[in-house]
Amino acid sequence: MRYVLERLEDYIAGLVTGAIGTFIIIEGLSYRMGSLHSMGPGYFPVILGGIMVLLALFMVLSAQPEKMAQIGPEDGQLRGMAFLAAAFVGFALTVENLGMLASVAIAVFLASLANRKTSLITALILAVGTAVVSALVFRVGLGLQIKAF
Amino acid sequence: MSTLINDLALGLSVAASVGGLLYCFLGVFLGTVIGVLPGIGIMATLAMLMPITYHIDPNYALIMLGGIYYGASYGGSTASILMNLPGTATSAVTGLDGYPMAQQGRAGQALFMTAIASFVGSLFGVLLLVTLSVPLSRVALKFGPQEYVALMALGLIAASVIGSGRTVRSLASVSLGLALGLIGLDLNSGVARFTFGQTVLFDGLPLVAVAIGLFGLPEIIANAGRTTTPKVNQDKIRLRDMLPTRSDWRRSGMPMVRGSGIGAFFGALPGTGGLVATFVSYAVEARCSRHPEEFGKGAIEGVVAPEAANNAAVQAAFIPTLSLGIPGDPVMAIMLGVMMVHGILPGPDVIQTSPDLFWGLIVSFVIGNLMLLVLNLPLVGLWVRMLRIPYTLLFPVIVALTCIGIYSVNYQVTDVFVLLAFGFLGLGMKALRFEVAPLLLGFVLGPMIEEYFRRALIVSGGDMMSFLDRPIAGTITVITGALLVWALANAAWKQLRPRNRRSSNA
Repeated sequence: MRYVLERLEDYIAGLVTGAIGTFIIIEGLSYRMGSLHSMGPGYFPVILGGIMVLLALFMVLSAQPEKMAQIGPEDGQLRGMAFLAAAFVGFALTVENLGMLASVAIAVFLASLANRKTSLITALILAVGTAVVSALVFRVGLGLQIKAF
Repeated sequence: MSTLINDLALGLSVAASVGGLLYCFLGVFLGTVIGVLPGIGIMATLAMLMPITYHIDPNYALIMLGGIYYGASYGGSTASILMNLPGTATSAVTGLDGYPMAQQGRAGQALFMTAIASFVGSLFGVLLLVTLSVPLSRVALKFGPQEYVALMALGLIAASVIGSGRTVRSLASVSLGLALGLIGLDLNSGVARFTFGQTVLFDGLPLVAVAIGLFGLPEIIANAGRTTTPKVNQDKIRLRDMLPTRSDWRRSGMPMVRGSGIGAFFGALPGTGGLVATFVSYAVEARCSRHPEEFGKGAIEGVVAPEAANNAAVQAAFIPTLSLGIPGDPVMAIMLGVMMVHGILPGPDVIQTSPDLFWGLIVSFVIGNLMLLVLNLPLVGLWVRMLRIPYTLLFPVIVALTCIGIYSVNYQVTDVFVLLAFGFLGLGMKALRFEVAPLLLGFVLGPMIEEYFRRALIVSGGDMMSFLDRPIAGTITVITGALLVWALANAAWKQLRPRNRRSSNA
């Protein structure tokens, strides 16, 4: 068991690579293969998937005991990740319905909360300010095809 | 010779026009800003500026994007020297000796000499670009599909083998990138591959969103939660205090020359770039210095050589991009993307069909580097002050601008989700210590290499030997094969060595 745990990083890397490679092969085989002389759409993906499976085998067989890289997020990163993701999703969901002013404000507001030291007031001021300036620059100045509101 | 003068005059007419100068300045200025500020990379900046580049003349767009690229490599060393916090990855090496110099009160000299070294390195790179690109593109016009496949394979293998400790994982990254590049309609048969019925995927994944997701997002996430602000040296830095001593000049001469050479070599090689060049040139200087004991404690050679190398590499990276249409790094891939948006097909005939673009860009490099000298020497105090802007206020704005930038490329909401997905892919790869740069290179070259590979085998009637029979393709293939065998043997050899070395590379 210790043997496996010491080499866990290489094993995970190998398994992930192998799984993706296998998936590419299976999906690739559903397209026409063709021959070397005249390749179908499936030929190249299957080669790539095959290479990945070989590399995965190499990784697993040559696994070396090693300290794991820190896989868990560092202090404060989980919060950062969640709020940043929310900011991008928030922008994407609102930009076409509510327009640029609102969606930029939402994105900035959510993103600034990714840092726990930023207060709500600061986030709000920054959000409104950025929204107004970017609407002026991109909508009025550059004429981007995004409606302001 | 007279054609060269004519070409340069044409370039000057583009680069020295009002628009050319304006966008060149905008580029190098913004480049310096993001280079100085740690936590904002070139990729995120390119994403933010995407909307602008679609609205201006392609000549100016490329001049500006180029300016950002080499401007950032100038500015990156500032934070590295003053705070030991590299503004860009390639300036990390500069901090090894630059930061000790700053601690000894010689920050001014270090900054001054890095500006000079950057200038020398850049000019060397531009010179190489001028002399190599035209002949290279002429040779490339005779290339058949075999040569292109061989060259691209060399670039991909070199990118995964050189400068990364984990060859096998980098090769897996490249393969995944190539596969991701295949998403969308197959050009030959019209079959939709790996789209799972999603029509938005028929055109393939959007390059900009993929690139910014892989490189920019993990960078922002890593810094966003940071609650401690880095300490900035509060001393005023005036130009008068910056002047290097005579011994500084004398000791910097040869390292700059060597650094430029090393940088230009790695920069021109597709797949490798500034990062590798800085490490190699630092190692070379440490070895041939007469005072090796000073390295790591403030040796000026250890500051100027990597800096010259880095900037020479940046300029030389344009050689394969402009003369062959093969991007050597993620930034070059974005540049090619911008060219294609404007209807310019990258490849060996760009120099002939759009001489104003090619020569304008080259002349703008010289002008931009002169501007940077001015921006970085008398104005260095400004950049130092800018380092005090809290990152907590900066990154939400970056997030918003990135959103706008990505969305405005195609006006498609899915692009933002692609960005997010690749951001998490980048994080996951980092956690398992996979390199992301090979993946992006594979992604960009994937469709091209498949297309040429299929064409080569149609032409040769399915004969794989045609990659070895043709002289140019054969030579490149043999080099690539040797590189691959060497790297894999190296990886296997490490495995067979006794266990007592286990902690050395943990």
